[in-house]
Amino acid sequence: MNTVVADITYRAMLGRKRILLLVLLPLALIAVAGLLRLIGGSSEGTAVTLMKSFAVGTILPLLGLVAGTGVIAPEIEDGTIMHLLSKPISRPVIAFTKFVVAASLMALFAALPTFLAAYLLVQNESGIAYGFALGALFAGIAYAAVFLLLGVLTRHAVTIGVIYALIWEGLVGGYVPGARTFSIQQWAQSIADQVSSSAFFKADVSIGFAVPAIVVVTVAALLIAGQRLRSLSLTGEE
Amino acid sequence: MTEHTAIIHDIGYRHYEGPRLGRGNAARALALHSLRGVFGLGRTTRAKIIPFLLAAIMMLPAVVSIAVMALAKQSGIGYPSYAVAMQAVLAIFLASQAPYLVAPDLRYRVLPLYLSRPVTVLDYVGAKLAAMTAALFLLLAVPLTVMYVGELLVDLPGPPHTRDYIASVVSALLVALLLASIGLALASFTPRRGLGVASVIAFYLFTSAVSGVFFAVLSANGHEIAARWALLINPIFLVDSVQVALFGTAPSTGEGYPAGPWSALILLAVIALALTALVSRYRKAASS
Repeated sequence: MNTVVADITYRAMLGRKRILLLVLLPLALIAVAGLLRLIGGSSEGTAVTLMKSFAVGTILPLLGLVAGTGVIAPEIEDGTIMHLLSKPISRPVIAFTKFVVAASLMALFAALPTFLAAYLLVQNESGIAYGFALGALFAGIAYAAVFLLLGVLTRHAVTIGVIYALIWEGLVGGYVPGARTFSIQQWAQSIADQVSSSAFFKADVSIGFAVPAIVVVTVAALLIAGQRLRSLSLTGEE
Repeated sequence: MTEHTAIIHDIGYRHYEGPRLGRGNAARALALHSLRGVFGLGRTTRAKIIPFLLAAIMMLPAVVSIAVMALAKQSGIGYPSYAVAMQAVLAIFLASQAPYLVAPDLRYRVLPLYLSRPVTVLDYVGAKLAAMTAALFLLLAVPLTVMYVGELLVDLPGPPHTRDYIASVVSALLVALLLASIGLALASFTPRRGLGVASVIAFYLFTSAVSGVFFAVLSANGHEIAARWALLINPIFLVDSVQVALFGTAPSTGEGYPAGPWSALILLAVIALALTALVSRYRKAASS
């Protein structure tokens, strides 16, 4: 952890147009929850649908993509990462610092709004709000690490991340039950299911697999990202 | 007191004296170059992977459908629902390629170089829009046409679905125009490619998720009419509803859409809004 690097990364994330997406998406989530409440849909079933398909299924991967790749990919793209890499700071520390920034942004812009949206709909009923907020927090951290790794590995990080989130987690996960085992948003649902007692909601992946999987994926992604940063080549395509 | 001693020497550059093809040709050349670029032609091998991979995925249902027709003698996937079934792939293609068309020129501030030629801002935007629209149209129309040719060759009992095929090609053009104008407008607001990809895909995911959630909640609460309107938030369903209104095809969602000309009007309004945003963005970029 290097506070100067963290400071620079925070400024880059919060001072540009990137902040618009980071703020608009959670605001939209809360607005949708408010609208649903207005049209009289504030039942437990609605809250679970909203959390499953919208908060965890859509907003969370998107924010993970924006925060995870955003902390490092633009710097690699325009070459300014050179100035950072030429300082006597170990590369794994740089990767870890950027991960901490991304993870903290996920807690603020993904987990907190998820809680607010669920609370707005059903208050504390069946622990849905707490469950999904906790799930979004841990899955958000895993997304941040995985997408940070993608940002280090390839210039097409966002596109590949989108393909993972939409095709693998969305399309394939929708039809092939086995694919759900290896999907971060399903792990978020497992954690949510553990906390909440709602009858409308049953996770597909057991908590005994989901929690170790999140830990392993996060740590492995960070280690690989740190290693890759040690031998980063800037001779780019295009 | 300073004496002007500077001279411009004629060092023998040859001037171009051939025909000058003018504005139309310049715009066409730009459009063709952009269209090739969308599919990665004339770019590195790495830039070709994603567009061609997505184009191959778009072909899969057509191939499977022809196989089903040939082996099981049944009609496969319907033409009108092709775009709806493959909407995620279309959205990813748009998100990954629209920023390529607009971001580099904005980022390296080379717009004045284009505008120093006969090309105007409107020509430039028109060429980019035409390229993206043509690319998306090809992405949809090629599998549809392959499937139609396959259907004619297999010669199933009963008449061929010519009407459905024509309806689907027309609505493929509408889908392409709608997605291209929205995608380019969103992507042009940031010179960063990654952020452009994220904002275009965020738009698609957001609209499709909102329409899905509201549809589910409204129909569960007995507001059938409002639920049908909620479907139109998803741009692909919007075009599908226009297709239903124009050609009387079966709606791809299983539910109906709101009747009347409203969906067509909404479609036109959305396209007009996106194009206005795009052109005003470029007018600003050109004047700075």
